Formats: sequence, C-alpha cells, structure tokens
Amino acid sequence: MLQVHDLTLRYPNGTLALTRFNIAVGAGELVIVLGGNGSGKTTLLRCICRTLAPSAGEVRVNGIDLAPLGGERLRRARLELAMISQHASLVRRRSVLANVATGALGRLGGLWTALGGLPARELAAAHGHLVEVGLGHLAHQRASTLSGGQAQRVAIARALAQNPRVLLADEPIASLDPEAAEEIMRLLRRLAVEANLAVLCVLHQVDLAYKYADRLVGIRDGAMAFDLPRAELSRETVRQLYLSKAA
Amino acid sequence: MSEATVPLAWDARGHGGDAIVLAKRIGIALVLLLIIAQSLIVVEARPQDLITGVHGMADIVRRAMPPDFAKFSDELWPALETIDIAIFGTVGGILLAVPLAVLAAANVSPSRPIYFVARAIIGFARAVPDLVWALFFVTAVGLGPFPGGLALAVHSVGMLGRLFAETIEQMDMAPIDALALTGARRIQIFTHGVIPSVLPSLLGISLYRLDENIRSSLVLGFVGAGGIGFQLLTAMNLFQYREVSLLLIITFVIVQAAERLSAILREKIS
Repeated sequence: MLQVHDLTLRYPNGTLALTRFNIAVGAGELVIVLGGNGSGKTTLLRCICRTLAPSAGEVRVNGIDLAPLGGERLRRARLELAMISQHASLVRRRSVLANVATGALGRLGGLWTALGGLPARELAAAHGHLVEVGLGHLAHQRASTLSGGQAQRVAIARALAQNPRVLLADEPIASLDPEAAEEIMRLLRRLAVEANLAVLCVLHQVDLAYKYADRLVGIRDGAMAFDLPRAELSRETVRQLYLSKAA
Repeated sequence: MSEATVPLAWDARGHGGDAIVLAKRIGIALVLLLIIAQSLIVVEARPQDLITGVHGMADIVRRAMPPDFAKFSDELWPALETIDIAIFGTVGGILLAVPLAVLAAANVSPSRPIYFVARAIIGFARAVPDLVWALFFVTAVGLGPFPGGLALAVHSVGMLGRLFAETIEQMDMAPIDALALTGARRIQIFTHGVIPSVLPSLLGISLYRLDENIRSSLVLGFVGAGGIGFQLLTAMNLFQYREVSLLLIITFVIVQAAERLSAILREKIS
C-alpha cells in the first residue's frame, strides 16, 4: 500500500536529513517508527505526505509515486493519504461534526463546498466516523469544548472521512494522559485491521509501540537502524537506538 | 528584622547609578516640556481669549435654549441618512476589505507582489482622511448622502483591511495546514478553515467600525455629504441655535445608541 524507496532529503545547507530510507507498510498493518529527538522521524512523515519535497527516492501510495508530483496532481494523489499530528488541529469554533466532514473536502467540488457548505450525505458519513471513534454523542458540540483525547479521536475521524488507504500519525499521543494514549493506540490498531488501512505511526513510547505495532522501525540520523516484527526486536536493540543518540 | 539586613535601594545601587537615573529622568521631562511648549507656540494658544470669549459662548448657549423640538420631525430624515451613510460605508468597506485583507495577510497571500500591492492599496485608503475622500466624491457625484457613503466605504477599506489582515496573520495555522493535508482546495481551505477561525474577530472589528463610521458620518455633512452634519452646518450659518441644540441632542443619542449597541453585539460574539 505504502512503499518508500531510497527516500533522501538534503537541505539547501547540505545537511542530510534522510538517507536512502526504505519502508513498506501493507494494508491492515500498523508500523511504528522509533527514534531519538532529531533522528528524522517527523521529516520522514513530512516527505511521505509531501509537505517536504524529497531530494531523491520514491513515495508510492497504491502504486502512484508522489515524489515527482506537484500542484493539482499532487493534491489528487494525496487524497489516498491522511495524516494526524501531535495536536488535533481542529477548527475550534466549528462543530465536531463539521470538523470531521471537512476531511472529505478534497473529494468534493462545486459551489456549495466552496461557499463553506457541507453536503448532507457527507455529514451523515462524518457522523458514522464519529460513532466509529466512539464520539457520536458529541457531534453537535463545538470543537473547542473537547478534551485532548477526544480532540485527537475527532482528528482520526476527520482522517477517516478522507477515505484514505494510508494513515500517517506523527506522535499522536504525545500530549495525552496514559489512559487517553492507550485509547488512541487501540483505535489506530483497530482501524488498521478493520478498515484495512496501512498505518505508519511515529511514537516515543516504546512500551506502547511493543504492545500495538506489527513491525517496529528504528531511525537514527536519518537512516534506517532496524525494521523488524515486534516479536523479533529485542529491548536491547531499542535501548541502543536511544543510547547512540545520547552518546 | 534589623535595619542592617534590609539594604536601602539607594545604598544597593550606589550613588553614581542613581545620579545617572535621575539625570535621564530630568532629560526626558525636559524633552516632554519642550514638545508641549512648541505645540503651544505653533497653535498660537491664547488662554486669555478663551476667558474673554466666555461671554460669547454663554450668549450662544442662551440663544440655543430651549432646543427647538418643534423641528424634531424635520430632523428624522437627516438622522436616518446619517445612520445609513455609516451602514453603507461599513458594508461597502467590509465587502472590499475582506478580499484585500486575504491578499495582504502574509500567511495566506498567494504571492509576495500581490501582498505588497494589497498592502499599498490598504495603506493609501487609510492615509487619506474620510473628509478628504468626501470632498473628492462630492466633486465626482455631487452633493448628498451618496458621496458620504462612498467616502466612508473607501476609508473603511483602509482601516478594516489592515485590522482584518492582522487578524488573519495572527490566527492558528495548524487547522489550516491540517485541511490542506486532506487535499482540500484553496477556496475550501479559506471558507472552511480561515473564515470560521477569524469570523468572530472580523465581526467585532466591523461593529466597532460601524460605531466609528456613525461618528464620522455626522461630520461629513459639513462638506456637503448629507446627513445631520449638513443640517447642523446650515442651522449654524443661519444662526438657528435652538435648532443646533436639537441637532446636538439627536447626535448625542445616535452616538450613544450606536456605541452601546456595538458593545453589546461585540460582547455577544466574543
């Protein structure tokens, strides 16, 4: 579903942020990326979703390479790929339901959505996604009234409204308490299996990564350190990943 | 606590430091005095004339009493004109200022040249006073409330455009970036992300502008742009001071009502 091949990013000042990075995430799979601060985890996700243009390599989503695309072709190709980040980034003054429905905007054209309207069928679908993340009862509440955990679940529902094949999550539980964090990870796991999504998630919580990931990928100085099924990955290898950064 | 354990500020700083601070303060005070003194000279301030003129002012006040309430119904139309000039000017200003502000907000403007052109238009509209715009439009379209409305609209573009642009620049960009990542088009990002985020602020600013425009529309009549100001000028020229006092009461009521209504609505929005 998602195939990253030899992905490289060199900044204009010559710094190499990603070096020939390779990763593949299949449908129904949850892959978690681990690495120290500044190791290149977020840069990897930003190159995949093309908010950063890679210097070389391929990012194939459902067979289409996003790396060389730009403008309207990139926008269309990116519809297959949804992203959630550390903060839910909701429009605070809009209702929860409207926030979720805006996930579908990329698929919708016409004057009505250009003027700020949302079609009834998309609102109905958005309600379904809210029920899916367990927040159907908050549909008509303002987004500003939600807790951090609830807001993150709404952001996931918005991503689902996009109808993607790949879900990228950049530290989605970084600002949540342990209970809410578990809840989000359970949800991502369930979505990978039930919605057949390819989920690539960046995380700092090693224990949760072990608990929920199918595969764990280590990144150090922009290069692949390991890519192993969780059963084959020793705690010592993970410890070394962070130690080497500290050293 | 003994006296020795509490050092006085004077002792702690040292005599030299305090002398410098004192000298700086005296210097600043002297500069301020000089600025005030030169303004008194330039405006040829003559307080004695004010004292001798008290009799004249008292005479006008005496001749203005009681207000000529018999003419109240005649003044209703000019009063309505005054309010409508402000409404026309504010609505016109908003309609022109919103697109200009989007182009003049650094975080959403499509390109740098467009940003600078939009900023220049807003700056020019603001720099020229509404009274000058009124003179310009009176020359162009003739006397009456229409040039007054046009003058307020153009001047409001300058005032609102700048405040709208600043509001857009200060908004949280995270929801906008999140919408862009869903594949939404630019216009959809604007209507579903930017507008809902800044709308309450824009409405608050617009209501405040309406309040300001009502005050301004009172004065525009002095240059022939209609409304109660024109009645006021005519009454003064004809020495109809009782009518002048009536017009001043109406003006006071309009200004107070507009201010109060604007404050109530702004409070509700926030």
